[in-house]
Amino acid sequence: MKNITVKYGVDSINKQVEDDFTFGELQENDSIKAALGFGDRTKALVEGIEQDSATVIPPGTTVRLETAANTKA
Amino acid sequence: METTEIIIRGNGVLTERVIRERDLEAGQSVLDALTDEMTRSLRNALTIPDWGLAHANVGLTDTIWSVPIDRIPLNARFRLINDVLVPAFASSTDIEMPLVWQAPKEVRLIFVIRTEFAKDCLKIDGNWLFACDKDNRGYRLPLPNLHDDCLICTGNFDDRYDSGGECLTASLEQFRKSKWNADLMRTVEQSQKFFRFQPTNETFETLPIQADDWTTLCDKVSTAIMERVIL
Repeated sequence: MKNITVKYGVDSINKQVEDDFTFGELQENDSIKAALGFGDRTKALVEGIEQDSATVIPPGTTVRLETAANTKA
Repeated sequence: METTEIIIRGNGVLTERVIRERDLEAGQSVLDALTDEMTRSLRNALTIPDWGLAHANVGLTDTIWSVPIDRIPLNARFRLINDVLVPAFASSTDIEMPLVWQAPKEVRLIFVIRTEFAKDCLKIDGNWLFACDKDNRGYRLPLPNLHDDCLICTGNFDDRYDSGGECLTASLEQFRKSKWNADLMRTVEQSQKFFRFQPTNETFETLPIQADDWTTLCDKVSTAIMERVIL
């Protein structure tokens, strides 16, 4: 297990997750979604750099989630 | 200046360590590179007629202007449901009216303009509309013509001006006169609980939002632009 911090806007949570937990799994995790209030379209950033959804989150990382922009319908 | 030290390592080895120091001539380009993501916030930078004060968050290449507003001009089609006038954005048959929705005090509206430095002028690079709660959380209102990140689909208007004040005035004028249509529309039910009007003898009064917690009708947002908004 490892600890990560997830921020969305002014809210943040600390979470203990499996060692192989990825950014994509974080973005789709229903309990974290409910806790922070983000939706289906997000991007995950570490130190301002957008991360690939398949990448495993390193232990101790602070992940900032941002609302992803949609295109005009 | 050079300093020489003789140290004894933990394993007993004696080591000579030479430290050389010199002051660096940090040119402007070096300072710019080190500070390119730093911004400076300036409250009450400008006053926009009819709207109020604008705050500025100034970066190396752009400025994020935040204008707290207390109303949303809703040039749209409306329908009377149970004696309450509500928007019907996708309709082509209901009456079109220029109503102004007055925000209740718990909904803090922020109109945001990004300007960039262009050749000999400033260029408007986008308009955003955020709603914030008392704890500064940002939300997307249940309106069409708003992208998920609260970027407003403004339609085309002249985007190059000589000053920041002109950029803000032009953006807010476009916001005031634009029609709200069904582009980027989600469900109209949330809009109709949020934006409600009571016809009176002479005008239309804004009615309270039909929800115990207005944020339940919105989507919470977090964006790089929102991080630079000054509330």
